[in-house]
Amino acid sequence: MIEIRFHGRGGQGAVVASELLAQAAFLDGREPQCFPFFGVERRGAPVTAYARIDDRPVGVRTSIVNPDVVVVLDPGLLATTPVCDGLKDGGLLLVNSPRPVERLAAPDSVRRAAVDATAIAVAHGLGSRTMPIVNTTVLGALARASGAVSLEALGRAIDRFVPSHPEANRAAASDGFASVRCVDAGVPSSAPPTAWAPTAPLVLPDGPIATVPSRSIRTAAWRTLTPSIDLARCTRCNFCWKYCPDDAVELDARGYPVIALDSCKGCGICAQVCPPKTIAMVATEETAP
Amino acid sequence: MAKLTIPAEEWMYRGHAACPGCGPALAMRLLLKGLGPRTVMSIPACCWTVIGTPYPTTALGIALLDNPIESTGASIAGLRAALDALRIEDVRVVGFAGDGGTADIGLQALSGMLERRTDAIFVMYDNEGYMNTGVQRSSATPQGAWTTTTPVEGPRRGKREAKKEIMSIVLAHHPAYAATVNPAFPEDFVRKAEKARDARGPRFLHALTPCPPGWKFSSEETIELGRLATETGLFPLYEVEDGVYRITRRLGTLKPVDEYVRLQGRFRHWEPEDVRELSEEVRRGWERLLRLERETAPAVFPKPPVAIAAA
Ligand SMILES: Cc1ncc(C[n+]2csc(CCOP(=O)(O)OP(=O)(O)O)c2C)c(N)n1
Ligand code: SF4
Ligand code: SF4
Ligand code: SF4
Repeated sequence: MIEIRFHGRGGQGAVVASELLAQAAFLDGREPQCFPFFGVERRGAPVTAYARIDDRPVGVRTSIVNPDVVVVLDPGLLATTPVCDGLKDGGLLLVNSPRPVERLAAPDSVRRAAVDATAIAVAHGLGSRTMPIVNTTVLGALARASGAVSLEALGRAIDRFVPSHPEANRAAASDGFASVRCVDAGVPSSAPPTAWAPTAPLVLPDGPIATVPSRSIRTAAWRTLTPSIDLARCTRCNFCWKYCPDDAVELDARGYPVIALDSCKGCGICAQVCPPKTIAMVATEETAP
Repeated sequence: MAKLTIPAEEWMYRGHAACPGCGPALAMRLLLKGLGPRTVMSIPACCWTVIGTPYPTTALGIALLDNPIESTGASIAGLRAALDALRIEDVRVVGFAGDGGTADIGLQALSGMLERRTDAIFVMYDNEGYMNTGVQRSSATPQGAWTTTTPVEGPRRGKREAKKEIMSIVLAHHPAYAATVNPAFPEDFVRKAEKARDARGPRFLHALTPCPPGWKFSSEETIELGRLATETGLFPLYEVEDGVYRITRRLGTLKPVDEYVRLQGRFRHWEPEDVRELSEEVRRGWERLLRLERETAPAVFPKPPVAIAAA
C-alpha cells in the first residue's frame, strides 16, 4: 500500500487532487481511497487531504500519519506547516516550487522532487493570477516521480471528472510529468534547516471559552500576492486602512500606512481602492528558506 | 494627513479566519466601530462563527454568545432580559446573522423579537447564500444566480425565484430604526451603527456583503462591487426612523446594472435579456423608494406670511 498526504491551501484544489489521484488509480485497476481532513476550508487556509492506493481493498479509515509520499501544492507551506511530519525515510516529498530541487527545505533522508506547477498552470490559463489551480500539474509530476499512477490513467480521470477545461488540465499534467526534477535520498540539501517550532498549547481560562485575541494568529501564509506601497506617492488618504477586511493596515504617527505582514491575506483590496494607485500587489517570495 | 472619517479604535481583530476580501469581515469591523465596546453580541451558525473564533482565540473585543442558527432573535431577547435583571443599562445587545440565519431559518425568532419590541439590534449580513456550508441558495439569493443548489446546466439557469425583501418584512413590524448599510460606504455604515446604538426598541440593519468565493469574483473587487450595488440602484442606502424614510445616498442617473453583473461568475450565463429585466426591476424599486420617502416625509408647515401679532 502507498499512502499519500496532500498539503495545499483552500482554493488550490488539494482535495480534488486526492480525488483525481484515486480515480486515476481506479482506472489503472487498483484499489484506491481518498478523503479530506475535516477543517476550515477557507480560500487560502491550509488544507490537508489523503489518498491510499493498494492492490487489495483498503480497510484502514484513519488519517495518514506516516505517509510514503507528501505532496505540497504551495511552497509557502514549507515554512508554516510541518508538512514532512511522519514522512517515511526513503519516502518522497514533491513540492510545487520553481527552486532547484536541492534547495528545498526538506530532510536529506527522503527523495525530493520539485515542479514549477504555478508557472505551468498559469501558462495553461488554469485559475486566476492570485490563485492558480495547480492540482492537475502537480498530479502529472506525481505520476512520474512516484509511479503511483500512470499518466494515461490520470488523463482519463481528468477527462471524466474535471468539469471545466479538461484539455488544458490534461496538457498541464503532461507538462508536469515532463518537467518534474528529482534528487535521491542522501543527496544533501543546501537549504538551511527550517526553524519550525510548534506553538505552545494555549491554557484555557475557567470563565469564557475564548479570551485570547486572534491577533496572535498569523494569517500571512494565506496570501500569494503581497501589497507593496510606494510611500513617495502616498497622499495619506487612509483608504487602505479604512477598507481592509483583516485590519492589517496600521497608520504611523504621520499617517502613512504600514502593512502588518504577519496578518495581511493579500486580498488586493487596498491596491484597488488606493486613489493614486500607489500600492502594487507583488508575487510573494517563496517564504521557505 | 487626512483626518480619519471613522473611529480609529478596532474591536475586530486581525488573525480571524475569513477568506481574503471577505465582505462580512469588513462589515463586522465597521459595525463594531459604530457600536463600541459596551456591546454583547450573539452569532448563530454561519461564516462568522468560523471567522470569529479560531479556537481558543476570539477576533472580537466584545462578549460573544454562540447560538443555534434559528434562534438569534430569541437569544438577544434573552440577553436583554438578563441585562435588565442585572440592571446593566449601558450595554447594547446585538444579533449578527447571515441571510440564511435571518431571512430563512431565523425568521420566526426575528419576527418575535421585533413584535415584542425587544430593545436590541439585529444585523443581517447578506452574502446572498449559505456560504459557510459551501454556497447553497437562500431566500436572499438573487434571481438567476448560480449556486450549488441552483445550477446552470441544460434548461436550468440558476435560481428561479426572486430575492426575498427582508426590509419590507422587518418594516411591517414598525421597528424603532431600520437601515441598509454597505461596507463600501464606511462613513454611512458607521453613522447608522451609531444611530442604532443610541436608539431604543427593536432596530435592524441590512448589510450587503460581497463574498468572493460564493459570488465568484476576484477578492480585490469587494469594494468595487459594493459601490456598484448601491450606485446602480440595486442596493440603495436608506434608513427608516419611526416610519419616516430617508435616502442617505442620493443617486442621479443610475449606473447600468450590467457593470455589477459582469464582475461576478455567478451571473456568467446571463443574456442581455436578463440584464434588461433586472434594470427594469431596479428602476421600479428605486422609484418606489423615492415615493416612500416623499410620502412619509414629516409635514413641514409653511411659515405664516404675516407675523401673527399678539392680540
Ligand atoms: C438547524 C441547522 N441547520 C443547518 C446547519 C448547518 N449550517 C451551518 S452554517 C450554515 C449556513 C448559514 O448560512 P447563512 O446564515 O446565510 O450564513 P453564511 O454561512 O452565508 O455566512 C448552515 C446551513 C445548522 N448549523 N443548523
Ligand atoms: S491586501 Fe487585503 S488583507 Fe492585505 S493589507 Fe491589503 S486590504 Fe488588507
Ligand atoms: S490608499 Fe494609497 S494613497 Fe491612501 S493612504 Fe493608502 S497607500 Fe496612501
Ligand atoms: S465564504 Fe464568503 S462570507 Fe464566508 S468567509 Fe469566505 S468570503 Fe466571507
